[in-house]
Amino acid sequence: MADTQARLLYAGPDFHSEQHIHPEPTGFLARYVFSFDHKVIAKQFLWYGLFFLALGGTMAMMIRWQIGNPGTAFPVLGELIWPQSGGVMPPQAYASFFTMHGTLMIFFAITPILIGAFGNLLIPLMIGARDMAFPTLNMLSFWTNVLAGLAMIASFFVPMGAAAGGWQAYPTLSTLVGQPGAGQTLWIVGVFFTGSASIMGAVNYITTVVRLRAPGMGYFRMPLSVWGIWLTAILNALFVPVLAAGVLLLFLDRTFGSHFFLAGASVTKGGGDPILYQHLFWIFGHPEVYILILPAWGIVSDLLSFFSRKPAFGYKATAISMSVISFLSMVVYGHHMFVVGMSPLLSQGFMTLTMLISIPSAVFFLNWLGTMWRGAIRFATPMLFSVGVVFVFGLGGLTGLHLGAISSDIYLHDSYFVVGHFHLTMAASVLLGAFAAIYFWFPKMFGKMMNETLGKWHFWLTIVPITIVFCGMLIVGYGGMQRRLYNDDAYAFLQHLHGVNVWVTRAALLLGASQFLFVVNFLSSMVAGKKASENPWEVGTLEWTVPSPPPHHNFDVIPLVVNGPHEFSHPDVKGKDWLAQNEPLPSDPAALGAVGS
Amino acid sequence: MHKWPFSWLPAVDISRDGWRADGLFWYTTTLCVIAFTLVTLALVYSSWRYRARPGARAFYTHGTDRKSFAVTGILAALVFVSVDMNLVRVSQRDIKEATFNWPTAKDTVRVEVMPQQWAWNFRYAGPDGVFNTPDDVVTFNELRVPVGHPIMLNLKAKDVIHSFYLPNFRLKQDANPGSINRSWFQALKTGNYEIACSQMCGWAHYKMKGDLVVLSDADFARWMKEAEGDARRRFDPADTEQMWGWEWLQ
Amino acid sequence: MTAVAAARFPARDESRRTSFVGMVMALASWTMLFGALFFAYAILRLKAGTWPPEGVEALPRLLPFVNTLVLLFSSYALNRGVRAEADARFGALLGALKATLALGSLFLVLQLAVWIPLWRSGFRIDSGVYGSIFYGLTVFHALHVLAGLVALLVLVPGARKGRYRSGRQTAVRLSAMFWHFVDAVWVVMFVAVYLL
Repeated sequence: MADTQARLLYAGPDFHSEQHIHPEPTGFLARYVFSFDHKVIAKQFLWYGLFFLALGGTMAMMIRWQIGNPGTAFPVLGELIWPQSGGVMPPQAYASFFTMHGTLMIFFAITPILIGAFGNLLIPLMIGARDMAFPTLNMLSFWTNVLAGLAMIASFFVPMGAAAGGWQAYPTLSTLVGQPGAGQTLWIVGVFFTGSASIMGAVNYITTVVRLRAPGMGYFRMPLSVWGIWLTAILNALFVPVLAAGVLLLFLDRTFGSHFFLAGASVTKGGGDPILYQHLFWIFGHPEVYILILPAWGIVSDLLSFFSRKPAFGYKATAISMSVISFLSMVVYGHHMFVVGMSPLLSQGFMTLTMLISIPSAVFFLNWLGTMWRGAIRFATPMLFSVGVVFVFGLGGLTGLHLGAISSDIYLHDSYFVVGHFHLTMAASVLLGAFAAIYFWFPKMFGKMMNETLGKWHFWLTIVPITIVFCGMLIVGYGGMQRRLYNDDAYAFLQHLHGVNVWVTRAALLLGASQFLFVVNFLSSMVAGKKASENPWEVGTLEWTVPSPPPHHNFDVIPLVVNGPHEFSHPDVKGKDWLAQNEPLPSDPAALGAVGS
Repeated sequence: MHKWPFSWLPAVDISRDGWRADGLFWYTTTLCVIAFTLVTLALVYSSWRYRARPGARAFYTHGTDRKSFAVTGILAALVFVSVDMNLVRVSQRDIKEATFNWPTAKDTVRVEVMPQQWAWNFRYAGPDGVFNTPDDVVTFNELRVPVGHPIMLNLKAKDVIHSFYLPNFRLKQDANPGSINRSWFQALKTGNYEIACSQMCGWAHYKMKGDLVVLSDADFARWMKEAEGDARRRFDPADTEQMWGWEWLQ
Repeated sequence: MTAVAAARFPARDESRRTSFVGMVMALASWTMLFGALFFAYAILRLKAGTWPPEGVEALPRLLPFVNTLVLLFSSYALNRGVRAEADARFGALLGALKATLALGSLFLVLQLAVWIPLWRSGFRIDSGVYGSIFYGLTVFHALHVLAGLVALLVLVPGARKGRYRSGRQTAVRLSAMFWHFVDAVWVVMFVAVYLL
């Protein structure tokens, strides 16, 4: 033990400490608006993401309202938005709402909250750096994202409304053939800009992790949250450009009359290939699923250990599994295209590769359970949400099996089963993971504790309806209901599913309503919450060794890391059950000596 | 259709091969339910049994000993072999026997399908057996097929991507503009069923409905004869829009 | 907590390595962008069968070939200048920048000389997938050349004042990396679009 520590001390892989302490800026603009400080940018991303989460969530409520109560006005808002139809959502608006719901939630809610906010907050603090490697790029990333968000919001107000071709924007529906309005063009601009912002962030995150780890912070001493965000950043840097290429060509088709994706009656000669877009989209799209979920996986892996007061079970295996999944995600995209008309051989190859993902998934899933096993579990709100992630992700992951096998996918493709499945994996688990993260790091961000009672109510009133909503969707999906239907009574074979749809809508409305508990808790805690100590959760990662909130430069002196991130309940540690990452074991005089020198 | 508590089951299966999707669905679901029950039990048990109590301290392990590795590894491998490889095996069998096993029997009925925003066009080759000729029988929003015969489809969309979906056959196949896709099915029961679109194709996607009429052999032959006569009488060489068919892709 | 007494490298070296890692990641990202465009080209071409499609004349090759040489030479000149400045031959960088800017501009002029006659002859971005590929790829690349020229232009005043005396400062090095990347993309594009 002592040997290892001494070695890491003197021959750390990136012995990089030359980070200057800059004075905190004093002007309002420099301090709160165009800030270079990763903690401020993290807060900007958090507010930005929460705003779009509220917007996208409200749209989801309206979508569900239309299916559960077709032909009735959405309370209050309906009358304001569609006065000409008496508050009832018209089918055109419905199409653009589900399109924008998906787009906003993925690119403007999940991405900013999990990657933008927590990526920014956690990477420097957890690896012991004073800031990101490229603070200017960091600021640019946020403001580029704002431009993208403005383009998206503006698209609601142009003639013919926002994009309405589904969030994947498959041509030829997304070309002028199906979407003549400017909304789809603004959508492309928005996606391109937010993609650029993601890439800027990703380059920054990767470099920061590679270059700015504190001495002793080897890759396998990084908290799993950092692992998750880092892998996400790698996938972002490599695959968002592919989406960018796809929407760029789509943009050319729409504005300059090129023929990349045009085919069929609208083209007289030399048509392109609409399927090409699907390839480009899913080469990006499958990694994107993991881009969204990996930060949540990492955060949950850490929190389960923190609150079980037990080292993360098989830490290295979890980190390696996440890496293997990231790699596999690059080669399985074809399972999104089983009914597109791919060659049978290709389909079978993609099916087998897809199934391989089970192995690493099973490994880290078992590690999660192993972490809780024989722990001393404290059920604070962040822990509840983490266990919730394990639960809903279990559901979501397993239902992926139905969709990975070709002959069941052919029936379930483009049905509500798919909607239920991907919401469980990349919406419900990511949302619960985001809440876990917010409850957990709120004290570090804002220096105040959030209210535990409200938090627990929020958890139970979220996990129960969220499970009902998305399992209900699995059921109507197997019942045969296609996704993106304005209502379920155009077809006779769907009529009997209306009962389930009504219950899904009710649960969804409850889910939406219970989020007000969070809003109240979040806002009131910020003003009147109990003051947070330096380390309220008694955990050992580096961000908890500095005051809450941390000073502008994070660390007065760059810490020297001697432990992994999850040193809990070590038998040699008396009086408390945790060790900070820079705190040597009392029983290890050699390590103490090394540190003293 | 179905009575409570089965009122959420899919439309009645009247196809030769629909049982495959249903069978694999329930097979997978059973395995998933077993796996998920075990996970939930472990979760609930751990949460209760190992909740923090005064004086209790967690067991100190990083789970890096050989035993932990072995348990995790074996369980993961077990899941992969018993669940995933099984699904692949069943799916491969289905692909070989049905999905991509294009019918070659003489009595196969061949139909060209061209969806458009928001309707279905169908084309039968007519007496000459060649598509896109004046004697083709063309129908709109109604596909008539004989019971017990393999029905082979060529699909190509006119404007945007649609997906040909027969809930009673557990069948789905995208129709793309610019390229031809193939699909096939076989009905076991006569009657009227629905054709649905399952790919977002514009604001009226939700009501892009067609009718599938499964007829007895005799009824189908009678109708086809009548329709062929009509087709020849109605043919208008000036109406080029009508000639939307294509060379058959076997 | 323990202070770490000294870093192992001089500070400047450290931050230069950091920017280098960042630039490598950024260029990896960019490579994926162009890679995706080439993938799109490959798919469309495979689907088309005959290439160029019937009724479309083959593209000119001479000017684009000259242009390839122009860009390769510009990369060479830039690289030489940067190295010479690093070896304390002051002023070499300024000369190299001027040469690169001239050659880069010449490239754009020659590109226009390729595009304009083609466009006039009726071969446009909306004349089928061949035109889409040709103009889409080459114009998108030319925009990158333009961006590279701007990045190099920004360096000129500093080079004139001798600010990059070591010749290896981050700004010079990163701009040069970008320029070489854009040139490399062109070589692939020339082979893929004009030759194959």
